[in-house]
Amino acid sequence: MPYELHDIRKSFGDLQVLSGFTLDFPSGKVTAVLGPSGCGKTTLLNILAGLSPPDSGERRGLADARFSYVFQEPRLVPTLTALENVELVLRASFGPGERRERALRLLTAVGLAEARELRPRQLSGGMRQRVSLARAFAYPADILLLDEPFQSVDLRTRIGLMDSFLDLQAADPRTVAFVTHEVREALYLGDIVIVLSDKPARILDRKELLLPRERRRYGSADLSDVEAALYRLILG
Amino acid sequence: MRKSADGKPSRGIPPAAAAGLGALALLLVWEFAARSIASEIVLPSPVQVARTAAELFPTARFLAALQATFLRGMASFGISMALGGAVGLACGLSPVFAAALAPALTVIRATPVLAVILLALIWFPSGTVPVFAAVLMAFPVVVADLRQGVLSVDSKLLDMAQLFRLRKRDRLRSVYIPAVAPHLASASHGALGLCWKVVVAGEVLSQPARALGTGMQGARVQLETAEVFAWTLAGILLCALTDAAFKLIQKKDPLALRAA
Repeated sequence: MPYELHDIRKSFGDLQVLSGFTLDFPSGKVTAVLGPSGCGKTTLLNILAGLSPPDSGERRGLADARFSYVFQEPRLVPTLTALENVELVLRASFGPGERRERALRLLTAVGLAEARELRPRQLSGGMRQRVSLARAFAYPADILLLDEPFQSVDLRTRIGLMDSFLDLQAADPRTVAFVTHEVREALYLGDIVIVLSDKPARILDRKELLLPRERRRYGSADLSDVEAALYRLILG
Repeated sequence: MRKSADGKPSRGIPPAAAAGLGALALLLVWEFAARSIASEIVLPSPVQVARTAAELFPTARFLAALQATFLRGMASFGISMALGGAVGLACGLSPVFAAALAPALTVIRATPVLAVILLALIWFPSGTVPVFAAVLMAFPVVVADLRQGVLSVDSKLLDMAQLFRLRKRDRLRSVYIPAVAPHLASASHGALGLCWKVVVAGEVLSQPARALGTGMQGARVQLETAEVFAWTLAGILLCALTDAAFKLIQKKDPLALRAA
């Protein structure tokens, strides 16, 4: 089923954040939404998830959709272990055996099988965010929302996290809406890259990326012309 | 609040020894003061008090009083925790409720304990007066603590819980209870101490047939100062022992009620 935001308008007081915004999210693909800080990316995700009602416009195919979130910060329950944190979001949907198996499988996929009994404060920032990725993929969601989840860690850890995400996405392709202000992140993760203007957000450009993952890596020259074009667009 | 057991490097005297020395110093000051005043009616010595206590404590009169006071203390503790807990949670969840209740709580907090006891004397039978006064005094403390507990719940975790559609009981167990539990512990610690003090004060004035406060007052009227001290000692022990018992329960499960 295609998911679409159609002709969405949203203002906060006098501030118009979205005015007549339309965007579709092809299933099984990563739609990377690239835009400057404060252009309304988070508002867009909130409207998509149904957390914030639009002033007008339509959310198509989204009425009964279930959403997974990866936030900017991991948002793990401090008193629960890594495994329990992943299991927590499965409690409503699965029996004890199945949710344990599922949680363990996802933690293993992000390389945290050994750390499953550790609590968040015993994990590094990168590991915590990995748990949060595992949780998002473990949860039976139709759409995965990623709100700049790779921002708070150093470059090496960030690339590791993104690789974890790509592994998970390759194994179990989800419809993903990924907002970021980092060009390189959008190019590395996105199947489709959408470039937004400043408020009210308009779509400046839409690029489909067909290159395989190896050729999109950080430092790879294959996308340098696309990258340069995006920078020109963003910097004006 | 979590204790940092690994916190400070111990320099020289261990804390237990320091506490022991402090207690010894207290006794020495007391002994010294008693010797300089040299009047048993004004200030009996620690040894005199210990002797009086040893005579008093095994008597049936004392044990009945102790039991009655203990029950009053526990009852007022239980009622203030239940009432204050419920109201505190409501205050934390609803700012409107908290604002509406604020004047009443301020009035209760500012009312002198003795004024409450005197009014209670007019309204209630003697055995109930100490319980009523203690509940009223402990109530605002419990409310404030539990409200703080609810306010300390991480709103980002709550958003997470909502987005992943956690069931109510999972939300309660993993987000609310761990945040509120430390505040519940500190509320009960505060309420317990307050309850003992107010219960005994209430008993002194309301004179129930069996009560530590009644014994204390009786001894005072007869100028048996050492016996006043002995009754007081019983009150102190009651407070200290229940507090220790409470800490022991908490230690067994430091994360109290953590979701499995």
